[in-house]
Amino acid sequence: MSLILRKCFQNVQISSLLKNTRVLMPVRNVGSEVSDADVPKFDMENPFLKEKQQCILCKHKIDPDYKNVKLLSQFQSPYTGRIYGRHITGLCKAKHEKLESEIVKSQSAGLMTVYLKEPCFIKDPKLFDAERPIRPHRF
Amino acid sequence: MITYELCLLLRVMPKKELAATLKRTATAIFDKSGFIRKIENLGTRDMPYKTSSHGVVYNKASYFLIEMNVPPSTVEELKEEYSRDVDIIRRRVYKKIPPSEAECTLHEEMLPAPYRKDVQELIASSKKLQKPRFSYNSGLDYYPFQK
Repeated sequence: MSLILRKCFQNVQISSLLKNTRVLMPVRNVGSEVSDADVPKFDMENPFLKEKQQCILCKHKIDPDYKNVKLLSQFQSPYTGRIYGRHITGLCKAKHEKLESEIVKSQSAGLMTVYLKEPCFIKDPKLFDAERPIRPHRF
Repeated sequence: MITYELCLLLRVMPKKELAATLKRTATAIFDKSGFIRKIENLGTRDMPYKTSSHGVVYNKASYFLIEMNVPPSTVEELKEEYSRDVDIIRRRVYKKIPPSEAECTLHEEMLPAPYRKDVQELIASSKKLQKPRFSYNSGLDYYPFQK
């Protein structure tokens, strides 16, 4: 008996729900016709966008030149005189390649040392830390 | 017209001789139907490394920079002429490069490897090299090639 009763009640509930939905349908249609004044406008720029990263030479608009030995020697190891890699200097590809070619030119012209950093430039401010590279060393 | 930069390392000598040497180098340019834009004195100082030229070892030099326009075909002749000059220790001719106005690409280079364009190209090129392989689920119930 109780089972039959429950089934009857379920039927009643379902039918009442169906009725409700039928009533609600036209209401939804009215909602879509609301004027555009209430819609928020999202035409501003993305406020969470990060600033573009720039390398130190691009930021200050410096172009490496073979006569500017003081600048070039800042990218030279004080121990071996070799040019630090891009993973250490943190320069963009174009600037680093230019820097390397300018250092080679400068050394060839007899303006810059090859096997050491010139002692007068040793105390120059450091632009990067060779011990903490951006990407790991390959050795 | 290409502007060249001539980097000269001259022997340390009294002013009179220095002027005579500079005049000689300048007239060599004029003889090759070139002209000089600028002469700069970069000073007399110790060289970063000792250099021997014309049988003498030099530790000091006077640095000069000459900006000039000469026909490109005569650059080698000029260099050869200066190499015979006893007062010139070292000479280099470089093209004068205007400063580049390219945008910084560091923000692209700092992306993780699979998002970098050069890495993506590398992967695509390696995929091209892979041989086409027979797939066993193609409906053919035997292997059509020699094993």
